[in-house]
Amino acid sequence: MDTKKCYVYAPLEQESRPSKRQRTSKSDPHAGLSERLKIYSKTWAEQEKKVQSTLEEADRATQGKIVDFVAANAPSEDVPRISIPTGLIVAGPSIASHGPYFERLGRGIRDVTNSSYVVLTSGESPNLKTFLKTLINKITSRVEDDDDEEDEIGRSVNSSVRGPKLLNFDLGHVQEWTSRNPVQSIVVAIQDSEAFNTAVLIEMVDLFYSWLDRLPFVLLFGIATSAESFEDRLLGKSLRYLDGQQFDVTQSDDIIEKLFRATIAHPDTEPHIGPNLCRRILERQKDHVQNTQDFVHGLKYAYMSHFYANHATIFLKYDAKFKDFSPDAFEAIRNLPSFRRYIEEKLEAGDTQSVRQLLSSDKFLFEVIEKLIVTVQNALSSLSIAAIVLTRIRESLGITPKVRLSNVWSRAASGELLDSPLLRETMLSIKKTPSDRLARLIDSLISLATEDFGLDAEQLQRELKTLVQDNAGSGPLRSQDDIRNESVRTTVVAQKVLLSKHKAALSEQDKAYSEIVARFYQRLESYFSSALVDPKTLLLYEILVYNLKSPHTEVFQPRPRLAIERALATPHDYLGCECCGNTPDRENTLAGTQPATAIVYQLYLESGAVINATDLWFAFHAIVSKDDEEDQSQTMYVMQMSTISNDTDHTRALFQRALAELKFLGLIKPSRKKADHVAKMMWKGL
Amino acid sequence: MLPDEILEQLNSKYPCRESQIQQLAALYNQAHIPSPSLLVAHGLTATGKSSIIRSYLELSSLPYAIANSRECITGRHLLERTVASCLDALDDYYDETIDRRPYARTENLSSLIVALGRMLEGRGKFVLVLDGVDKQREAPYTLLPALARFGESIPNLSIILITTLPIPLELHRPGTPHLHFPTYNRNSLLTILGRNPPQIFLQPPNEEHFPDYTPDIAAEDDAWLWGRFTATVYDALSRHTGRDVVSFRLAALRLWRPFVEPIVQGTFGTRDYSRLMVNRRALFQVEDSVLDRIIADNSILGTNINGANNSVVPTTPSTRRRVRTIAHDLPYYTTHLLIAAYLASYNPSRTDVTYFMKHADKRKNKRRAPSATAGVTKSKHRKISRHLLTPSPFPLDRLLAIFRSLLVESVPQVADLYTQIATLTSMRLLVRTGGVGSSDVLDPGAKWRVNFGWEYARSLGRGVNLEVGEYLVGGVD
Repeated sequence: MDTKKCYVYAPLEQESRPSKRQRTSKSDPHAGLSERLKIYSKTWAEQEKKVQSTLEEADRATQGKIVDFVAANAPSEDVPRISIPTGLIVAGPSIASHGPYFERLGRGIRDVTNSSYVVLTSGESPNLKTFLKTLINKITSRVEDDDDEEDEIGRSVNSSVRGPKLLNFDLGHVQEWTSRNPVQSIVVAIQDSEAFNTAVLIEMVDLFYSWLDRLPFVLLFGIATSAESFEDRLLGKSLRYLDGQQFDVTQSDDIIEKLFRATIAHPDTEPHIGPNLCRRILERQKDHVQNTQDFVHGLKYAYMSHFYANHATIFLKYDAKFKDFSPDAFEAIRNLPSFRRYIEEKLEAGDTQSVRQLLSSDKFLFEVIEKLIVTVQNALSSLSIAAIVLTRIRESLGITPKVRLSNVWSRAASGELLDSPLLRETMLSIKKTPSDRLARLIDSLISLATEDFGLDAEQLQRELKTLVQDNAGSGPLRSQDDIRNESVRTTVVAQKVLLSKHKAALSEQDKAYSEIVARFYQRLESYFSSALVDPKTLLLYEILVYNLKSPHTEVFQPRPRLAIERALATPHDYLGCECCGNTPDRENTLAGTQPATAIVYQLYLESGAVINATDLWFAFHAIVSKDDEEDQSQTMYVMQMSTISNDTDHTRALFQRALAELKFLGLIKPSRKKADHVAKMMWKGL
Repeated sequence: MLPDEILEQLNSKYPCRESQIQQLAALYNQAHIPSPSLLVAHGLTATGKSSIIRSYLELSSLPYAIANSRECITGRHLLERTVASCLDALDDYYDETIDRRPYARTENLSSLIVALGRMLEGRGKFVLVLDGVDKQREAPYTLLPALARFGESIPNLSIILITTLPIPLELHRPGTPHLHFPTYNRNSLLTILGRNPPQIFLQPPNEEHFPDYTPDIAAEDDAWLWGRFTATVYDALSRHTGRDVVSFRLAALRLWRPFVEPIVQGTFGTRDYSRLMVNRRALFQVEDSVLDRIIADNSILGTNINGANNSVVPTTPSTRRRVRTIAHDLPYYTTHLLIAAYLASYNPSRTDVTYFMKHADKRKNKRRAPSATAGVTKSKHRKISRHLLTPSPFPLDRLLAIFRSLLVESVPQVADLYTQIATLTSMRLLVRTGGVGSSDVLDPGAKWRVNFGWEYARSLGRGVNLEVGEYLVGGVD
């Protein structure tokens, strides 16, 4: 079956293709698309700016150190260099973000020091010759030309008299270039040192070392695993030529957290990302890939799909006028579930007048929306602020376990935070806080909030200050709920131990302090209960929050293997035809009407690691020709030996094609272990 | 410069090489006395071959050119470089500009000999040095024999080949003079290092307290202590690890600062050598100073010593194992993929049923046994523990199957898993090995292998609360 190639050409003549489904309604699906595109680019540009500044902020410290290292290792006239200065940049396993990292690093190095900076990747350097060619091209920014070509003007002194030309992998090119453009040092960054061939790295170090008296090289290695394993790969001789320092890049999940704070959880964000989607993005970061790029792409895609697919997002336009919107847009608003809920609530309240107006008058609806959208936006941003406040409280009180803002925020956004143990625990520990910690906490809350959120924190701070100043004792003030003010007494009565708690007598100051704590507690509690609303109950939630996971999952986490396996195992799922439809009692039934490849695949699933091709053929034949009565009387063996009917010929052709297709998919392979057998290569569900 | 002056200068610059320098001077002295057409200077690394020859030629006022094989990527590259450097040298020496047009290309040895013949025609003696020619990458097979015969057609050219080992057979020409640069012996090494001792005190001690400690005395002390110190370093470490001058010097310099630390602090005097030696003996008991590292980490040596002061047992490499950590955490599933790969590499596939079947099986209970019985049922043939052997290759589906059985919850079949495998491959933690379909990435027959050891796998497992040893056939110590 390896050698035969066969084709079954059977055009269907009787039935034409199914009629195409066409959109019959007159409404234009792309109405206001350009408007929405404009809103999108405006909002995304803001987000992107935040993202960029966050990323730059995140690795500023390390980059600064690397730049200092490069600057400090500039060659001086009097001290000859005995080794190549080398920076080992442990950049972590998120390989995809190394590229942008080195790009930013290059900008930093070029800005601060007068150096030439080149990034080389393993793909560009399969061997030493190619490596050097790429290096030279990148340093001299020279267009590669053939050896035989005539020289351009000003290439070199040698070539002007047409003497021996340097070969294109000769570092002499770089030397010439440096004589024309004097640089402090030539920084060569090896982006993915792990993927490099070790031999190339060793020869590179050797070569650079031998040129070190003429070319001021500085090496930077990007390392994904650890500096020790990098050292292990090199020869002792190469290590002797290198002398360097290690730089640790900020962990990827810290950066993600910072990005989260700057984008999703930022109070001014609009539209918001919903809790489901946000959780999905974060989980993917935790479980599968650690990659800031992916995070940003996911966010961008969410914005894009929100504005592309949701007609009503046009209302997010800044200073919108009534005439900007078509009646369709208002119709879209009226169809939103949250709007319907709103109307029903109004009806129950008996406000029929405004309901009628909302439903009939676009103008009135517009005015209502204009007002409402601001309040809803405020509610959402105060929700974000509340999440930030809660995280800040936990941070300053040092409550364990540490809960990240991303976690708190996604709980708040799904409306679960108000009754959660997390909040309760935090509030309880506020009650027990001694005065020094409370002061710190209030300070940090004041620094956090731009507007006071009903806490009147400054007044509390003043009162607390005066109280602490009057405090004569050495320790901080303690509230009445502090466990240190309680003592446990044991009394033995009739051979039973009784435990009883007693409150210690509180001093005047402690009483006053307890009163402050109680006030603070109450205000905080009322603040949380007002801020932590369930966003799903808000009107126009659908416009302001994007929470669909479906396109996101399909785009960022496709399941190619599952798709193929499912298509072959249950072809009905994809074909949707009646002939091989599922019978209600059994999930998958083998039927002759299914595609031949799917039948063979299902037989394949039932068999072991090696499959007898003849058995497979018999089974296949039995299924395909099940419907034909004439074949049923004959046994398989007779049928094979007898004159092969036209029909069997056809079946055999189908079978061979199916096998060939399975082989093409990589599912089977001819086996050398057993004659007439094929080896099973892939198992379902992996 | 007179020959005697040259000799004197060279001998003072390169001590313990008198005989070699003398031989060079005898062979290449005056322009009118013929020199051998070929000389092979050989010797191990760091024996002064290249530097002495270069310095000698520089002083001897002979026209010469040096081509370094180390900087030449291919054989042709060497030829081109040779012609170019010869032209440069001739330009310099005769102070003229040779028309370079005829020398534009040197594709092979024949054109090299033509080019050299043309440029040296009617000139005096010329020395061409090919440094490290036995290490030339992609050298043509006939390179050495051809170079050996260049003198036959160009009488005024004399070639010096610098090699690591003597190459009489490769030259195919008997009677070639060889000049051997032997490795330095102990006395020579100590002499060379003793010529410029480093300082004990980086900042001179307080003048008020020690008014009579003049720089002269300091220099004398430096030399005295350094001499004794280097002798100790040589006997303790370098004799066994690196006898060449470069590694000896590196080791001595690395140890010097921690060694003199008590003197700087004022605990011992500068001449208290024996007490100092006893105090700092731990320095010579560890191998940190002779290991080559990229990151110069003197703190290791320092902390080691301070710890050793308190405890009786010095920290040796056997007691202080270098902790290998990955600086960054891997994502959850990536960690599991790596563990699964380790298990797939080190467990024979026939045991998979016992170890990874999810349903309750009677045989499953057997697997915890080996740790208890391993000592008893030791076979006569000592078997090497599995985790010390090379990892064996496995197909990708086996990795995925083990991965799924390690996890309690089910993982969706997302493409991210394959992305992670690709990432791990480019990080060289997983390696695609040779096999039937190794060239084709998509071929299901391709085999994979892990590229990390047991300790890394165990630390990975501990990071996600999984004891890898429980799943490993044969168990580990």
